[in-house]
Amino acid sequence: MIKNYFLRHAQVFFYTLGQLTRTPVATFLTVAVIGITLALPAGLYVAIENVQRLARGWEDNGQISLFLKQDVPGSSIEKLAEKIRRLPAVSWVDYVSRDAALAEFKRLSGFGEALNALDRNPLPALLVVHPAAAYSHPDKLQTLLKDLRRYNEVDLAQLDLDWVRRLHAMLELARQGVLILAAGLAVAVLLIVGNTIRLAVLNRRDEIEITKLIGGTNAFIRRPFLYAGTLQGLLGALLAWLLLALGLLLLSGPVDNLAGLYGSRFEAENLGFLATLTLIGSGGLLGWLGSRLAVGRHLRAIEPR
Amino acid sequence: MIQFTHVFKRYPGGFDALRNVNLQIQAGEMVFITGHSGAGKSTLLKLITAIERPTRGDAVVNGKNLLRLPRRRIPYFRREIGVVFQDHKLLFDRTVFDNVALPLIVTGADPHDIPRRVRAALEMVGLLSKEKMYPITLSGGEQQRVGIARAVVNKPPLLLADEPTGNIDSKLSDEILDLFLDFHHHGVTVLIATHDGHLINRARQRVIELKQAELVSDSGAAA
Repeated sequence: MIKNYFLRHAQVFFYTLGQLTRTPVATFLTVAVIGITLALPAGLYVAIENVQRLARGWEDNGQISLFLKQDVPGSSIEKLAEKIRRLPAVSWVDYVSRDAALAEFKRLSGFGEALNALDRNPLPALLVVHPAAAYSHPDKLQTLLKDLRRYNEVDLAQLDLDWVRRLHAMLELARQGVLILAAGLAVAVLLIVGNTIRLAVLNRRDEIEITKLIGGTNAFIRRPFLYAGTLQGLLGALLAWLLLALGLLLLSGPVDNLAGLYGSRFEAENLGFLATLTLIGSGGLLGWLGSRLAVGRHLRAIEPR
Repeated sequence: MIQFTHVFKRYPGGFDALRNVNLQIQAGEMVFITGHSGAGKSTLLKLITAIERPTRGDAVVNGKNLLRLPRRRIPYFRREIGVVFQDHKLLFDRTVFDNVALPLIVTGADPHDIPRRVRAALEMVGLLSKEKMYPITLSGGEQQRVGIARAVVNKPPLLLADEPTGNIDSKLSDEILDLFLDFHHHGVTVLIATHDGHLINRARQRVIELKQAELVSDSGAAA
């Protein structure tokens, strides 16, 4: 029984595939429209993902500077650095001693001679804390900053978060935009598939009527149309993926060039495995849903006379 | 097999297609329904196949009350009835074999049995040699026989025919009548709507006459 069930579905599948290949132009046009429609939000998603990946490369800028109190001895500083290093949120810690800080300041500020006039080093020792990649989100950095401020040795803890916050806010905005766009375009795909299936149903009016007369259930009559819609949705999603790959291929030269100018080895990446599955899955699902809605509505109108 | 008690069918607008029809047909009977066009023959067949519902009265076909048959049960109800249409209603984009196989596929018959059962039905109507042809290349009489093969391939207990000899000459109609008589002898309940007097005289079976939506005469079961 179960075997027959699958056999019947396989038959309908290949029958539908045959029907689609028999009208290659119409099929291609539908698949192309679906493909381009899906490629738009998917392309924007890829762009955002890549910008985010690039931003992760800049996480050094999310570093926290801990200026220590003047009277903390060197040995305590080493101990403190070791303690901080062990925090899960911390990737590594650089220690800049007072002497090193003074030397650097002299070199960079141009006040070298004037500083020599001071009888003691006015600069505090500095611990530069680099957060781990998983803690680069602004909220998590804020928490880490609070934790670091609690150490007695710390005089001042500083984190320049504004640009990180702005970037994240912008990416979040773009992400929402993509979601809204994707929702709108999903409706477009539904309408495209629905219209295609509506025409297919009307074209096969006689067949549907006869099938109803000899005892075909609605589920039986729907099946080939659902397969047709799902297949076209899947093929459209596949095409969207190929369009993205093609677009990235065309952009890879300029991206390499630009990255090279910044001394970076950044390379734009296509959709990941899960995102690809999501794209293909949404294509199939939208195709199925579009044909289900269309076929359900038009099937009721066709009754034997 | 068919039991109509005080059945009325009124279409929107007040037109009466059937008025107070009482009819009883036993399993295994062969019955002709005759009358002028518009007398209600087609409406009667539409009620029996659940294409239309009666407006009033009790109509029981094959143990199912047509007034109370839920929509979703209609396909299963129709599988017990073979219907031969005046215009054949064949699918022209597929072969004779595929046309006859359709009811088997629809009912989910075992795929291994389908070729054997289709060929048995085609052999019965004498078209086994034409299974690979498309209906458009066949004559009107042959197309009608394909329609008959399709109607009986599922071995339904009830066979309906609407003007089965409407478009073909008398020699061919005799052959088709012989087919129906043959099914009748094998125990199938056969109901034929026709105004072909020649056919009715030759068959010597029960005849029911409809006139202006009413049943006006019933010859009773044949001896």
